[in-house]
Amino acid sequence: MAKDLPERVTLLGIRHHGPGSARMVEAALERTEPEIVLIEGPPEGDALLGHVPDLTPPVALLLHDEAEPASAAFWPFAAFSPEWRAMVWANARGVPVRFFDLAAAASLAEEPSGARKASLDPLGTLAEAAGFDDPERWWEDVVEHHTDPADLAEAVAEAMTALREEFADEVDDRTLRREAAMRQNLRQALKDTDGPVAVVCGAWHVPALRTLPPASTDAAMLKGLPKKKVSGTWVPWSHGKLATASGYGAGIDSPGWYAHLWECAPRGDTVARWFARACTVLRAEDLPASTASAVEAVRLADTLAALRGRPSPGLSEVMEAAKAVLCNGDQVPLDLIHDRLVVGERLGEVGADVPTSPLAADLDRLTRRLRLPLNATPKQIRLDLRKDTDRERSKLLRRLEVLDVPWGTPDTTRTLGTFAEAWQLHWKPEFAVALATAARHGTTVAAAADQVLTGRAADATRVVDAAETLSRSVGCEIPTAVTAARTALDRCAAAATDALELLAALPDLATTVRYGSVRGTDPELLRVALHGLLARGAVGLPLACRGVDDDTAERAIAAVDGADDAVRLAADDDHRDTWRQALRSLVAMPDAHGLPTGRATRLLWESGALDSDAVAARLHRAVSLAAGATAFVAGFLRGSAALLTADPRLFGVVDDWLSGLTTADFEAALPLLRRAVAEFSPAERRMLGDRVKGSTRGATATAADWDEALATRLATHVRSLLAEAAP
Amino acid sequence: MTTETVLRPAAEQQYAAELDALAKADDRPRPPRWRMSPQAVVRYVLGGTLPDGTVISPKYVGDRRLVEIAVGTLVTDRALLLVGVPGTAKSWLSEHIAAAVSGDSTRVVQGTAGTGEDAVRYGWNYARLIAEGPSEAAIVPSPVMTAMRLGAVARIEELTRMPAEVQDSFITILSEKTLPVPELGIQVQAVPGFTVIATANDRDRGVNQMSSALARRFNTVVLPPPASEDDEVRIVSARAAQLGRALELPAEPPALEEVRRVVRIFRELRNGSTVDGRTQLKRPSGSLSTAEAISVVTSGMALAGHFGDGTITADELASGLLGAVVKDRVSDTAAWQEYLEAVVKERADWRDLYRACQDR
Repeated sequence: MAKDLPERVTLLGIRHHGPGSARMVEAALERTEPEIVLIEGPPEGDALLGHVPDLTPPVALLLHDEAEPASAAFWPFAAFSPEWRAMVWANARGVPVRFFDLAAAASLAEEPSGARKASLDPLGTLAEAAGFDDPERWWEDVVEHHTDPADLAEAVAEAMTALREEFADEVDDRTLRREAAMRQNLRQALKDTDGPVAVVCGAWHVPALRTLPPASTDAAMLKGLPKKKVSGTWVPWSHGKLATASGYGAGIDSPGWYAHLWECAPRGDTVARWFARACTVLRAEDLPASTASAVEAVRLADTLAALRGRPSPGLSEVMEAAKAVLCNGDQVPLDLIHDRLVVGERLGEVGADVPTSPLAADLDRLTRRLRLPLNATPKQIRLDLRKDTDRERSKLLRRLEVLDVPWGTPDTTRTLGTFAEAWQLHWKPEFAVALATAARHGTTVAAAADQVLTGRAADATRVVDAAETLSRSVGCEIPTAVTAARTALDRCAAAATDALELLAALPDLATTVRYGSVRGTDPELLRVALHGLLARGAVGLPLACRGVDDDTAERAIAAVDGADDAVRLAADDDHRDTWRQALRSLVAMPDAHGLPTGRATRLLWESGALDSDAVAARLHRAVSLAAGATAFVAGFLRGSAALLTADPRLFGVVDDWLSGLTTADFEAALPLLRRAVAEFSPAERRMLGDRVKGSTRGATATAADWDEALATRLATHVRSLLAEAAP
Repeated sequence: MTTETVLRPAAEQQYAAELDALAKADDRPRPPRWRMSPQAVVRYVLGGTLPDGTVISPKYVGDRRLVEIAVGTLVTDRALLLVGVPGTAKSWLSEHIAAAVSGDSTRVVQGTAGTGEDAVRYGWNYARLIAEGPSEAAIVPSPVMTAMRLGAVARIEELTRMPAEVQDSFITILSEKTLPVPELGIQVQAVPGFTVIATANDRDRGVNQMSSALARRFNTVVLPPPASEDDEVRIVSARAAQLGRALELPAEPPALEEVRRVVRIFRELRNGSTVDGRTQLKRPSGSLSTAEAISVVTSGMALAGHFGDGTITADELASGLLGAVVKDRVSDTAAWQEYLEAVVKERADWRDLYRACQDR
């Protein structure tokens, strides 16, 4: 049999994060002086309530499953949250406070994702029915002039009862279970004290708490719920994260405005102060905003409120007035006011005595174990990846990088081989913020990095992105992320239509394959991915070089170079053949751009797949097509000074071609040749010059028809060429 | 002058009955020299039903908040600037608000490249000036000066078309609320109730940017094009029917379907994509405003009434459409032809319109 709640219980139905509700709660607590305060929230958080004086809101209560830290949830509170006010009030007076919602152990089990579901905003619904767009304004309008908080609480309870009947379908099993738990905890509180009890909970739950059914009914509902060990902490929160825009289900649109309402209410200068702050925001961006305009804006906002029959201007009135008066009807400065003031970027603080977030605790543990203290001054370190500690350190730095905590920057200027890495370490205080943000990804560094990488892999649309995620995953040594990135790579490669894009992803991947064994990832797995990309890219390469402009040709030559390095570094024999075959068909393709074709010819020649005679024939053939010749030669020569000096036949071929050019053709060819030669180091250029000067020695071996006059002419050309190209 | 004898009666003449009924039913406080309370002005503009059963027709279809900001601005005796692309009912709104607030919407200064300072401040009756010398009797007051004396609303049309130096002569009027007459050593001081509604167009060619000193004296309300197709259809069919009556066109007001077609064509070309968002379109150079859509429909009505059987068909619309869309022969013709081929031809029930347009 259900019985009514005893008189000594005050039910305070609130709107979460509502400053109006917060005021109501404060007044009601002052008046009723309860001996126990019950607040909607998980009872596991009770242990953390002692830390309230050390906190600066906005902060969030973070609870997570000890066995499976990734299963976690946040309960955020701002300074103007009624729950927060109740905690502060009780703490100041030494009144015991308890969270009395369903245990987090049970709610975490229901929602492994850790996010709270968006639920019906009951006060919002009432406000809408009354024709208000902002529930907080409605609350202010309806509630402000109520003097007796108990009366008000009664009115709220009645309205909610009606609403609960209306939306009976919206009440799911979970809500019913939560309310059963609330009633059980309330019974316990009634047993513990004979004095007044105050209950602060969402207005929606008030009707369910007004009568107490037999305890056995509630106990039956709560039977068999999972029991887990849950631990938690306070983490700094921000106004931006309170806003609905960041995807937090039970969030509010305008935390900055609510904070402003809360702070200004005792002073009674809400609107004037708001516009003064808006003017400051605009002036900081060098936009005109005079005090006179602020005065006019206040007048317009007041008039609009009067016109709409409201006791005082609300957010919509002040924003409309700001747009018409301060922003000249322009949306851009208004957006600025919205971001800075309506949402606001306030960050909470958590005192040093409060246990840190599990992620921070994990990092703390790792840095101590790896003897890698957080350093405020930059420091260089060298890691030998064959040593376990160093490998763990590298892993940690890479994982933090993924979490936007760039504590270490890899030094890529020096190549130290497969087994060594150089890092620049510098810990900055703002990383604490990034770390707190990353806390939502997971409760350990590994889990958080895993979630970020898996997410990135799922979002990747381009081969390059997927390959980058893959190499990062391998660097971080997270097998699940590696698998996800592999899948993403396959997906992107299948969808990619540009062979050059596919090939461009190869060098990164090849390095990854090479590091794979050190990194504890099976290199074969990655090699398969590399081969897949290579096969697709090789098929498309010749066509991708056909009939393209010079810019694309530059991309193509870079892709061919990179892919060739990658093939030599990491591909097996079969795929090396596939690649050679692709280069051959590129060389054979008649209308391909000269730049990649020339480079392909060189690569084939270097690898021994083409002998020097064939190259000579190929060069002559290219030269006979006047237009493509320079591009071909440029592609052929780029970065090959040593070979040019060493192979007399190659030298002879180039020599013949150069000296055979007419003056006009030579001048036309000069820019491209210079670009090819400019890449040679001074030493190489000197070597090549020597070779030209002393050409009789090498050239006689192959060139029977030696012509002294021709040689002099060529030598002059090359000398002027080299002199001009020299820095 | 009765409403029947003039081509276009002023708002306060045409809606005299509504204004009277509103003023009678209005029991809220009125600002000095206002004919009715601000709430009643908003109701006059947006329409509604009075307690005594009088139906107030909606004059402006759109966001209620914009009208509230506009009226609220006038209550604070700040000047109001209505900004928007052509055909977003700026002047229409300005006229009706002036009619409701002061009962007279005819104190207008039309801004053109040739508007001089005397149109804004005052001119002289030269015969009198020469005969009697400078005196107050020799002054020819501008509509603004008259409005200042009476405590009424003065309207400025196309403020940004005036030369910049003429625009700036408003600065004293708006900030000091006085108009000095240095020749006589006097000044005309505005009485409570005086305010200014200006309209300006921020897109057109040939406008003079407002100085920021002047812009600071205005509250700006930006009027957007109609938000939804249904709103625009409502505006076009209501206005076309009114105009048809006023011009005594023999044709029936067009079927809703024809109006919807015109509105859809205008919206699609204006937005550069079809309603379903699947097809990208070239945008013609014209503004393709709601006002132009109204004129396409009324000219269709005129054609149908005088040369057709009285009901609008695709044939009557086609000529008007072509004229409204093609403002620049070369680029707009291409855009229009592309639209016909890619969109109109594909819609099965628009075949008649496609054929009618291709015939031209």
